[in-house]
Formats: sequence, C-alpha cells, structure tokens
Amino acid sequence: MLNFTRPFRDGAGFDTILVMLALGYLVLFSGFPLVYNLVMSFQEVDLFSLASFDRPYVGLDNYVDVLSRPEAWGIFLNTVKFVGISVAAQLSIGFALAIFFQQNFPGSTWLRGLFLAGWIMPALVVGAVWSWILAGDFGVLNHVLLSLGLTGERIFWLSDPNVALYSVILANIWLGVPFNMILLSVGLAGIPEDIYEAAEMDGANAFQRFFTITLPMMRAQLGAVISLGVIFTLQQFDLFAALTQGGPSNASNVFQYWSWQLSFQYYEIGVGSVISVLMILFVIFVAAVYVRSTRHEHLA
Amino acid sequence: MMKKYGLTAIALCLVSLYLFPLYWMYITALKSGTEIFANPPTFWPENPQWMVGDVWSRLKMDVYLWNSLLIASGVTVIVAICGTGCAYVLSRIRNRWMDAVLFIVLMMQVLPSSLMITPIFVAFNQVGLNEVPRTSVILAQAAKVLPLYIVLCRATFLQVPRELEEAALVDGNSRIGAFLSIIVPLARNGILVTSVLIFLQSFGEYVYSRSLITQRALQPATVGLQSFMGPNTSDWSGVMTYSAIYVTPVLIIFVLLQRQIVSGLTSGALK
Repeated sequence: MLNFTRPFRDGAGFDTILVMLALGYLVLFSGFPLVYNLVMSFQEVDLFSLASFDRPYVGLDNYVDVLSRPEAWGIFLNTVKFVGISVAAQLSIGFALAIFFQQNFPGSTWLRGLFLAGWIMPALVVGAVWSWILAGDFGVLNHVLLSLGLTGERIFWLSDPNVALYSVILANIWLGVPFNMILLSVGLAGIPEDIYEAAEMDGANAFQRFFTITLPMMRAQLGAVISLGVIFTLQQFDLFAALTQGGPSNASNVFQYWSWQLSFQYYEIGVGSVISVLMILFVIFVAAVYVRSTRHEHLA
Repeated sequence: MMKKYGLTAIALCLVSLYLFPLYWMYITALKSGTEIFANPPTFWPENPQWMVGDVWSRLKMDVYLWNSLLIASGVTVIVAICGTGCAYVLSRIRNRWMDAVLFIVLMMQVLPSSLMITPIFVAFNQVGLNEVPRTSVILAQAAKVLPLYIVLCRATFLQVPRELEEAALVDGNSRIGAFLSIIVPLARNGILVTSVLIFLQSFGEYVYSRSLITQRALQPATVGLQSFMGPNTSDWSGVMTYSAIYVTPVLIIFVLLQRQIVSGLTSGALK
C-alpha cells in the first residue's frame, strides 16, 4: 500500500494530480459545454426538446436560418464597429495616459492606480451609472453638451437608433481605458532611459523620439494589448443589458448579446448556439494569435 | 520643481474627469427625488438625503447581497482548491505537456460567458442542476475565472526560489509537505490578492445568474439591480443609492489593496 501511494506523494504523480484537478474541472465545465454547443448547433433545440437527449438533427439548417435573417448583417456590422471603435479608442487614450503618467512627478503611481477603480466595478453597475448620465431628459451629459453649445438639442442617447450603439461604446471605452493604460505602462517602464537621452543629444524632438523609439520598442506590448482588448470587448454583455438591451430594434445589438437573446428570450436555443459557435471560434483565433505573440517575446 | 507639481495638477484633473461617473453616482444617491430632475442639475446636493436604510429594506438588498456573497465565496473556494496546485506545477515544470496545459488554460480564459451560457444552461437542466441554481452559477463561474487565477498565481510561484523547496525535500519533507509548508506560505500574498480579485469579479457576476436563477429570493445583487432599473425607470436616486451600497465595499477593498492588485495584474497578464 505504501509503495502504491508513494509516487503520488513524492514523484511525478504529485504534479500530475495537481494539474489534473484543475484541468479536469475545466474540461468538465468549459470543454464539455464547448463540444455540446457545437452539437446543439446542428440540432433543433427549443423548450420542448430541451430536456431530451434525442433531438432531431437538422444539419446546417440552423446556420442557414440565422445567417439569412434580415437583422444578421446589421448586427454583424454593429459587432465590428463596437469592437473596432472600442479597441482603437481604449488603446489611444490608454497609451496617451500611460505616457503622461510615465513622467516622474509626485503621486504619479498612486494617481495612476486610481484609474483601476473603474475597472474593478461590476460592469452592470457601470452600465447603471452611465444610463443615468446618458438619460435623455435629465442626464448630465446632455446638460454639459448643451451649456457648452456643442449640441443644439437634447440627444436621446439610449433610444435614438443612430446613437444607441455609440453610447454603449462610450461606456465600454470608459471601462477599458484603465486596463490598457496599466499594461502599456509596464511596457514603457521597460524601455531603457539612455536610449531617449542619446536621441535627445542627437537632436531628435519629442515626435521623432515617439515614432522612432517608443512605438517600435512597444510593438510586442501593443500587439498583446490589442488582442486582449478584442477579447475583452467581445466578452462585454453587462453594459448592453444595462444600457440598451440591444435596442431600439437591434440598432445597438451585437453578436454576443444576440446569441443570448435567441437562447433565453426567444428560446431558439439551436440558433443561439450557432452564433455562439461562430463567435467562440473567432475569440479562440484571436487568443491563439495573442499567446503566440507573447511566446515569441519570451524567446527574444 | 514647479513643473513637476504642474504635472501633478494635470494628473489630478485627469483622474477627477475619469472618476466623474463615480462622483455622480454618490451625489445622485444623496439627492432628493425632486432634486435629481432639477434643470440645470446641481453638482452638489442642496438638501442631502440619506436613503440607504429605505432602499436597503424596500428592495430587500440583504437577500441580494447575501446571494452575491455566497456565490463569490463559493467560486473563490473552488478556484483556490483546484487552481493553486496547478499554478504551482506550471511554474516549476517546462516541457511539451505543460506547455499544452498552459495553452489550454489560456484558451479557456477567453471564452465569453454570454456565449458559454447556452450549452451550460441546457446541460445543467438535463442533469438536474437547475434544482440548485446558486450552485450551478458557482460551478459555471468557477470554470470561467479558474484560468485567470492559474495564470496570476503562476506568476507568483515563479518568484518563489526553487532552492528553498529543494532544501525542504533534502530535509526529508515529502513533496506535498514541502508544497503546503514552504511554497504556499511563501506565495501567500500573491495567492491572497488573486483570490480577492476572483472574489470581486464573481461578486459582480451577471450573465450566469440572470440566465440560471429564476427565483427572486436566490438572485444576486446584479440581477436585482437590473430588475429594479427596468426599461423606464425614473427613480434614479434609488438606483444610484442601490449602486452605491453595492460598490462601496468593492471600492474600499480596492483602495486598500490597490498597489498589490496593480502589480499582480501586470505580472500575470504579460508573462
């Protein structure tokens, strides 16, 4: 008996058990649903067949059905806009702030850390606060814009189909800026000071220093932050739930919210899994690129 | 010298501009029902009202917050038990197998909850987990945050020198003895901060709770806030009071652990 348990306490068996504990949990509660999701996307799943294991296979019908719906194209464009604008704005604001806080002044580290207060809050609460700021009649943003003369009349941020998506993007940028800034600060801190000093002595101005030193030295970091930005933006659900629920009439809907709506509001679960499968494939692709790029950085 | 303090002043302005939504939440929570609709809006409450007790009992926040607390604690316990050992092994052994494990963990980290909930909901229904909705949320959310915990804890274990562990083994400790009495205590701070992060994230969990818990008495504070807001709310001072009660503990923990959280995040995310 002692001989049997020995490798588990002392040898490689100990490592295996520790890894298997976590990996087993992940396979059971993430890996299995992934596969099940794929299976369901080929089945007809609704409230009646929910509990049964023997559901009719419909081949690619769900895929054809959902992708040929009239709203699918608009929601796709919204998703692209949501991700593109959010990531671009988070990155540029985050980068600018990171460079600013890199200047050595009293309280810089502490003040920079305060930005993360936005990141740590539950996204649903952030959504609630923004929906009050953005409220059409008594929202403070409209008041500020009106008194600065930037707009002639009140903007109905959450109910005007032309701006609803941009309202969610605005809140999402707010949520993502601190994380971008903190990660980019780490990269900036890693650039040796004397390169800048040498460039300054050679007469390079601030712009030239930025484009010839900062940007090239930050390439790996920027790649990582952009991939993470795309991944986190595609995870964003709570803001949609709190701000617009994808409305009015899908004007601010995106794939990750639509998939949930299909499954949990219209109970077209098979169709919901189709969107889910397609989106997960895309997210995993981005994540694989990210992991590869950080690996590369390790070797270098 | 003047220039330095000038930069501090600009930084203060940037921080206040960024944190304005938080300020607005607290200020609105203190305003009366009529003052929130004043035009122009007041940036400082004229006659502050303390509505915490009223909102707390009217919306049964004790029930909601208790459920949030329960879910967050359950998730943190599962994740710490399953993840700590794995993070340690991943920090010590580099070979093809461990690289594969690390890759799987990283891939599992990015799966969006709103897309995973469809298969999880159906599967949980079929095995009868819908009878215990809070437990299902704990199980699903633990799978969601376990990879993050492993990645951040691994970064902590990397900083614990191997020599200490080897010395313990030479002294006759078993592997498990060395792990529990040497490694874990040395990595204590990192493990604690990571657990706090996981706890805070699960404290604000929404997608799984919204989809898996139908009974009001079992729902966490996020779902409660969402149903209180409704589509056409006008009780903004109530909503903001609710929000303020909900996030103030989160913000206090954040301010206390700010330095550790920032360094933990940055070491884990880029390594």
